[in-house]
Amino acid sequence: MSDVNSVAGVDLDRTWLGVAAEVWRRRPGHIERAATRVLRSPGLARALLTTPSLVVPWLIASVVVLGAGTAATFGSGAPWVPLMAPAVAAAGIAYAYGPGIDPAYELSRSMAVSDRMVLLVRAVAVFGIDAVIGVVASAASSSAVGLTFGWLIPMTAMSALALAAATLARSANVGVAAGLAGWAITVVSTRAATGAFTAAVTSSLLTLPYAAVGVCCAVIVVTATRVSRGSA
Amino acid sequence: MNVELTGLTRRFGRTSAVAGVDLRTGPGVFGLLGPNGAGKTTLLRMMATVIAPSSGTMLLLDRDPGSYGPRRQIRRRLGYLPQALGYYPGFTVLEFVEYFALLKEVPSTEVSRAVASAVERVGLGAKAHAKLRTLSGGMLRRAGIAQAIVNEPRLLLLDEPTAGLDPEQRIQFRELMRELGQRATVIVSTHLVEDVGAACTEVALMDAGKIVFHGTPTELADRGAGHGAGDAPLERGYSAVLAEARS
Amino acid sequence: MDDDLIAAIAGGDDLALRELFARHAPWLAVRLRSMLPAADVEDVLQETFLAVWRGAGGYRPHTAGGWLWGIARRQAALWLRRSGPSTVATYASPSDEGAASDAHDPAEIAGWRADIDAALAELGPPGSPDRDVWQLLYVEDRTVADVAARTGVAVGTVKSRAFRVRRVMRRALRGGIAEGGAR
Repeated sequence: MSDVNSVAGVDLDRTWLGVAAEVWRRRPGHIERAATRVLRSPGLARALLTTPSLVVPWLIASVVVLGAGTAATFGSGAPWVPLMAPAVAAAGIAYAYGPGIDPAYELSRSMAVSDRMVLLVRAVAVFGIDAVIGVVASAASSSAVGLTFGWLIPMTAMSALALAAATLARSANVGVAAGLAGWAITVVSTRAATGAFTAAVTSSLLTLPYAAVGVCCAVIVVTATRVSRGSA
Repeated sequence: MNVELTGLTRRFGRTSAVAGVDLRTGPGVFGLLGPNGAGKTTLLRMMATVIAPSSGTMLLLDRDPGSYGPRRQIRRRLGYLPQALGYYPGFTVLEFVEYFALLKEVPSTEVSRAVASAVERVGLGAKAHAKLRTLSGGMLRRAGIAQAIVNEPRLLLLDEPTAGLDPEQRIQFRELMRELGQRATVIVSTHLVEDVGAACTEVALMDAGKIVFHGTPTELADRGAGHGAGDAPLERGYSAVLAEARS
Repeated sequence: MDDDLIAAIAGGDDLALRELFARHAPWLAVRLRSMLPAADVEDVLQETFLAVWRGAGGYRPHTAGGWLWGIARRQAALWLRRSGPSTVATYASPSDEGAASDAHDPAEIAGWRADIDAALAELGPPGSPDRDVWQLLYVEDRTVADVAARTGVAVGTVKSRAFRVRRVMRRALRGGIAEGGAR
């Protein structure tokens, strides 16, 4: 950098900075401004919506997948949406996770807007929007009310499982694999036990186990994202 | 005093990366020297509040980072450049620096001015809108330095900051360090001894998790008097101190 | 060179603006400095280049120096209007195109200041009609209609006062600077 660049007592470097600040200013779009108001933090809003987070591509993928499921249900009568929604959400949540996706992860752990906060917001956003898309797709394709909402609980459980696995293994892909595998196993084993394909989403006996899985995994995630202490 | 460390240790499994460090320092440029594996990076990471100490006390900017509130306040006035930064290839220089300005909670009204200032200070003004994937290694490093200084930190932690910079850039970098060191504590971890001599007011030498020397660069050079290994006074001082510590 | 830069700026090239700033800000700063205190010059210079950024589309080739100075003058006038007329603030330089060679020497500036003070004294004390016309029309760059409204006289009266002011200033100063003409 040059020495202080001043002419006739006028600091030209400082003058240029004033010009550059205006010319280089980034003006956030509508969604980001809304997110800033809701989250009360411009940093959190930007972290939610911007490239290092795969949230936006994931949401697009969710719409596509569940849309296809809806169409498939019209064609075949089988309730695809409730069966797919938990898997879709689980995968999305895992991609909300840091180390697998964020190349500047180490740096993000020193930020005032903490990496845990960012993870939480991304996970909630994915989950919330997937839930809404799922409800819409499900209502459009299914007549049985139990099916329309019954998958919300398994979806929560699978998402928590995926996130916990991702956090422990420090890899988003492990999280996706855990979520998908967990769900596949659940569907197959409940079908084997009861003969009904949709038992995984309709059986009220499963509510408690799902809730337990959800809570345990949430605890794991919270613990694992603490500022890490050395082992004693 | 911006940094006060007492009896700081950090273990990973059964290895002690940092084995009892005492350090007190205020504004100025502080060089942290030592061989690979000496614990410099771990010490820096603890000061960056990325990991917590296993034992000992740490006060950063007069606050204890052990609890959320003070830690957040420290982080607003903290700048950190890790050894392997990682970057978002699709971001432009401005977007990259602005992203971290926002995450450091720089007040919204000050963000664009702070970003412009940081980008110009590291000499990337002509590359403001260039995407990071188009930049050379040295320019990427400078973008990393820009994000570290964007919030005018009172504590600036740099891990091998001159890696990849050519000699002219290193001179400009040292000038920047001296400027920043007037109001802030700048801690530079490096294995390039000559970087230290030129810019630092204080130097510490770490080996095997402990600090084996703490003083001025001149004092370190003096320790090397009569010692064979090394081409320059600081290098001789460095080897002399290490030899003594290991014997 | 400048034409290319300004064309690029019109296309949104901020690098070209940076280049233009490096080339022209120094002499603009000196010119403005003879009208305003240093701190104000920074602000006016900043506003000038922001105006360049926004208005580069309206540029006609080969007039870079005059175009830039025109914008700077207008910004300075706006500034003076906002902060109220304080000290003597007028053209100091008799020539007008991009020549940065004059107006550096403090003694010269002091000389011109003295000439201007004398000329203004001839117009009358502050608050007198001719002095007001000078301040409002030439320093603050207002339109004739505006000046008429502010001073509560007819447009024709303002015009004839302006004519007298120009004649007095022209006689008192070297070279014909006060040729702005009433709008």
